[in-house]
Amino acid sequence: MYVEFLGIPRERAGISELELEAETLGQVLGALSARCPGLSDLITPAGLHPSIAANLNGDEFVTSLETRLAGDDRLLILSADVGG
Amino acid sequence: MPLSEDVLRQYIGGSGLGAWLLASNQDLPPDPLSPDAPLIFAFSPLVGSPLTTSAKFAVVSRSPLTGRFNDSLASSGFAIAGKQAGCDAIVIVGKAPALSVLVIDDGNVRLEPAGDVAGESCPVTEERLRARLGTDYRIASIGPAGERAVRYATISHDGRHAGRGGSGAVLGSKNIKAIAVRGTQRVGWARPRQLTELSRDLSKRSFGPATAKYRELGTAANLLTFNRFGTLPTRNFQQGTFEDAPNLSPEQLRVEYSRTRASCVACTIGCEHIYSVGKSSVRVEYENLFALGSLCGVSDHAAVLRASQRCDELGIDTISAGGTIAFAMECVERGLLDEPWLTFGSGEAVLRAIDLIGTREGVGALLAEGSRRAAETIGQGSIAFAPQVKGLEIPGYEPRGLQTMALGFAVGARGADHNRSGAYDVDFSDKVDRRHATLDSVRHAIDTEDKAALMDSLILCKFLRRVLEDFHGESAAMLVAVTGWDVTSDELRETARRIVATKRQVNLLAGWTLAEDTLPDRFFNSPLPNDPEAVLTRERLQELVAEYHRQRGW
Repeated sequence: MYVEFLGIPRERAGISELELEAETLGQVLGALSARCPGLSDLITPAGLHPSIAANLNGDEFVTSLETRLAGDDRLLILSADVGG
Repeated sequence: MPLSEDVLRQYIGGSGLGAWLLASNQDLPPDPLSPDAPLIFAFSPLVGSPLTTSAKFAVVSRSPLTGRFNDSLASSGFAIAGKQAGCDAIVIVGKAPALSVLVIDDGNVRLEPAGDVAGESCPVTEERLRARLGTDYRIASIGPAGERAVRYATISHDGRHAGRGGSGAVLGSKNIKAIAVRGTQRVGWARPRQLTELSRDLSKRSFGPATAKYRELGTAANLLTFNRFGTLPTRNFQQGTFEDAPNLSPEQLRVEYSRTRASCVACTIGCEHIYSVGKSSVRVEYENLFALGSLCGVSDHAAVLRASQRCDELGIDTISAGGTIAFAMECVERGLLDEPWLTFGSGEAVLRAIDLIGTREGVGALLAEGSRRAAETIGQGSIAFAPQVKGLEIPGYEPRGLQTMALGFAVGARGADHNRSGAYDVDFSDKVDRRHATLDSVRHAIDTEDKAALMDSLILCKFLRRVLEDFHGESAAMLVAVTGWDVTSDELRETARRIVATKRQVNLLAGWTLAEDTLPDRFFNSPLPNDPEAVLTRERLQELVAEYHRQRGW
């Protein structure tokens, strides 16, 4: 599966996307913590920091760490605050 | 006029107090640009306190663009000066015999001639008046657009604008070029030790991840996010993605231009990202980039920055300017308007149109009226794609892909607005399906509208909203520390509802009908080209609006 970073998560990760193997949202966040140290203050043991959101394929916003992911899914990590 | 403590507690300040002052006037003249129409600058209990982001003021009147209630907010030293001059609000009625500066020096009020700054830009006007009156004056001014009654003219202070709805035209209609305020009175607080502790804690939290977006990229961070979600309004809302969005993004702008950051007075967030353009500079916000960029199909970042800067100088709302120009471009494309130079994608055309609007010359006289009035003049069904609600141009949130926000736009007292409804926050969450709003979306839209009304009355910057873990409880604690009132969370919830209802009351006095709570025909039954699932029907929106009114008890 693929992870795309937008806004602050992209700033912190230093990349716009990466590919990794994971079956759940929790596994993705665990992998991101290891591979992108810059994201450390945005990922907590309980999930993403409240200021950050995760979206599956541009459709559904997901929060449960148990959320199942498919191999061709794209998980978008973005700032939850879209005020302008 | 004296204000009772009951009124101040029920409406707090800012937008709430302004709404009450306006609603109390049962004889509002039909024309918002009439000399008798009041223009209100409302401050708030928190202004002048050490609470971060509290140096804000509201400008309240009926809008010359919509005919309905309008409140626009701006920040910085003017708010503190107004408070230190002893004012909870400044209400202006009448018309000066010649272009003037309204000078408020503590409790003393006088008019001074302003002929020497006639036609000058907002920054030049401020600079000259401070040189004349003294650097301890804080000045809010209008540019050439306000003098010429452009219906979406702004009131500017220190590079920021009370931007939406045309309050600059209202001030201009009174022959007031600027208001200069100096105050020396000490602002006291009921519980100073408690206030100091609250302020320190809030400031500390304001440096955390919840505000990182504003500090590091600014509101412009939305551009690539919205483009990715297909919700970046493009070419007058004909598309939801813009192929050249990366070129306008803050990530690209910082490569092309040098950048500095700035803050309003008494703010620890520092959301302002200022880019150097030649020998001058311009503040860049998402709404500028969207309205003068993707909405007009312009990918030339230099042209977009210059257009934004020109709007600031002339004193024009960038959202309404971009919306009206994009509408005119589509009219040209459809053969409804004979201005062949005004084409999507042309940065030169946007710049030329802005200058014509600011001077009301040529087609600028038509565009200075806003997209709704322009559509009424052009006719031929063009009202269907005029990008407005109640006459106020729609900000950069595509309603078909963000349907809770679509409801927020439709029911907004001042028209389509992202500052009075934060329903986009709901669409970007797991609370709703953003492309398929249900009746359950309504309570969320109401909640964001109520919270916005409260923040606009306290007044605190909305960029703090995710810092406040217990929004009502923390807001109540701040108000208790400043005023000594035994305010509770529940009281503030009721106060917010009262304020929203009072805005509606002004609209009822001005002739509002339920038919106004809708969107342009463009958004019904035609999906976004890049997102076939994003369909909003008229019937669905009507159901949502009806449920909104039912839950409001109206």
